[in-house]
Amino acid sequence: MQLTKSDLPAHARLLLECLAEPRRSRSLRESEWDILIRSARSARLLGVLSARISRSTPAGALPERVGRQLLAGTIEARFRRQKAMYLLRAIESQLCIEGATPVLLKGAAYIVQGLAMADGRLPADVDVMVPRLALGAVERALLDAGWEFENTDPYDQHYYRAWSHELPPMKCAGQALELDLHHGILPPLGRLKPNTDALFAATIPVEGTPFRVLSPPDQVLHAAAHLFQDSDCTGRLRDLVDIDGLVRCFAERDASFWEILEKRARLHQLGRPLWYALTFGCDWLATPVPVGFLKSDRRAEPPVLTRWLVKTLVPLSLFPVAPDSAGSAKYGIACRLMEARAFWLRMPPWLVLFHSINKFFRGFRRKPVV
Amino acid sequence: MRVADSDRVALADMLLGRGLGLDLGAATIRIRSDVPDLEGLLQTLYGSYRVEDGLELFDVTVKLRRAGGLRRLFRPQVELLVDAAIEFEPFPLDTPVPLLEWGVNYALASRLCCYLLLHSGVVERHGRTVLLPAMPGSGKSTLTAALALRGFRLLSDEFGVVRLSDSQLLPMLRPIALKNESIDVIARFAPQAVIGPRCHKTHKGTVAHLAPQLAHVDACHETAAPALIIFPRHDPSIALEMEPVPRARAFARLAVNSFNYEILGPDGFDALGKVVQASTCYQLRYRDLDRAVEAITELLDRAVQH
Repeated sequence: MQLTKSDLPAHARLLLECLAEPRRSRSLRESEWDILIRSARSARLLGVLSARISRSTPAGALPERVGRQLLAGTIEARFRRQKAMYLLRAIESQLCIEGATPVLLKGAAYIVQGLAMADGRLPADVDVMVPRLALGAVERALLDAGWEFENTDPYDQHYYRAWSHELPPMKCAGQALELDLHHGILPPLGRLKPNTDALFAATIPVEGTPFRVLSPPDQVLHAAAHLFQDSDCTGRLRDLVDIDGLVRCFAERDASFWEILEKRARLHQLGRPLWYALTFGCDWLATPVPVGFLKSDRRAEPPVLTRWLVKTLVPLSLFPVAPDSAGSAKYGIACRLMEARAFWLRMPPWLVLFHSINKFFRGFRRKPVV
Repeated sequence: MRVADSDRVALADMLLGRGLGLDLGAATIRIRSDVPDLEGLLQTLYGSYRVEDGLELFDVTVKLRRAGGLRRLFRPQVELLVDAAIEFEPFPLDTPVPLLEWGVNYALASRLCCYLLLHSGVVERHGRTVLLPAMPGSGKSTLTAALALRGFRLLSDEFGVVRLSDSQLLPMLRPIALKNESIDVIARFAPQAVIGPRCHKTHKGTVAHLAPQLAHVDACHETAAPALIIFPRHDPSIALEMEPVPRARAFARLAVNSFNYEILGPDGFDALGKVVQASTCYQLRYRDLDRAVEAITELLDRAVQH
């Protein structure tokens, strides 16, 4: 089943076209700019769109009312980026302890590597991975330095510590962003089990910092796993845009990228999420995937029914709702189903049941009045 | 065509359909609504604005919508969508205007980081502006309204919009939200003032909105240079006191109170620096509105002569 852009709603199509081919924006009518800018803002992609358009179109060539909204996107992204850098500087000493080898993930990693695809991104938090054995020591060092858990609910704390690959988000006075401390890239009880030791072994140091980043293929696999294995995809178009950007950048740098990517996908059992990411990327963002790559690993290809389900639900939930609609019933159902899928993939059935029952009853408890 | 002169039925249709476009100067907004009789309220408050039916790109698009659910049978409510998202608690259906005004302000404040947005009233005379920054409740709106009704041009009651390229002030012209006692104060101060209906029991007490004047609306693209910064405070124990404020302190107070100074980083620092450098700064405590207006007029005239 080939899913092309023509099946998508107009606002999603316009956003994809202008992200993939920013020159397209030169011929936009005012009403199209209106839809484009509002859709991009709602997808948290206004800064990315702005960065891409500014590479091909001088700022003076845009109508004033367009230019100012794009500029606002650029300025907000610059601020978030600055805040991410500031956070990294602040936690350096807590993370430089024996055996910690801190590895930056996602947004922070893209920034410190100076990747062009990070231009205009809005990092919501900073993700750092340390080996499980060092987790306790790093957590204590951060708590001593003033970081604290936002959520101190005992069940939620237990949930994260027992069944998740990260601690609950931490915050610190004076820091605009939250810090997520990871010891893996997917929940330990989930369906797919990436090889965490191999992830660490292949990391690359970042010059001038105590931090490391995942190897390029592992970065792509992590982004794909994060989107198609660990999230419900709702409103996560920006994650697909990230994957497209990473692939373009890494494949251009290293001729053996695809070959290594395939090997690493097998090693980490992440062929399936990668298959989804590249398939949707090809269809919607013209991600340059070599001919035959998607067929190279038979086990990565989802069975017909699963494929049909995901290819039906993802287009409904991944994009922001049309700026002038309030979300259809179909959208709501698709999001719920994708949410259920995420839980199914994230944990074994007994835990889904236990967790759902727990959450259901906890929902009745009154929140404490502050 | 001005909003006040539009056919009421046509205006109601426009609100239900493509929306009413308004040009505030520094930004454009589009309002949609299915709230009964909202068009009448908009004709009062936005009467002098032109119906911008040629525009199709807006900085903020909002929609007032009657809330669904069983509650509408006994206590009907109205909710505000910014694009497709609901970001605020609903209001009672009979007071849609405060929700609209606060919602639009919130969206403008969080989106327009292409400008430095100071939290301040702004009025102008002879091309030079008076910034009236203040904490809520200090009488900023009352004083801004009074100046606008005595020969000053109103640029904004809420936003000191500073253009980053040259630190000129841009109008962001909206109705002025008057709260509690200041509604009567302004009604007595200027009987010709057009004030909308009073909305009781909002989270800021009773609120009514003062409609901007036609001449000010028509000048909404005329920028002005900074000249005077006055931090007002209404104080019944002091008839009038004007105390100089060092520029560095004025800078800090403006920065802390700004909607987006932090987000703008070095651009915000430079722009605010130029505004403060070009201004003389005072702390004003006043009891009597007439005397405060006189004192500010005198100070501005003196600043312009320099």
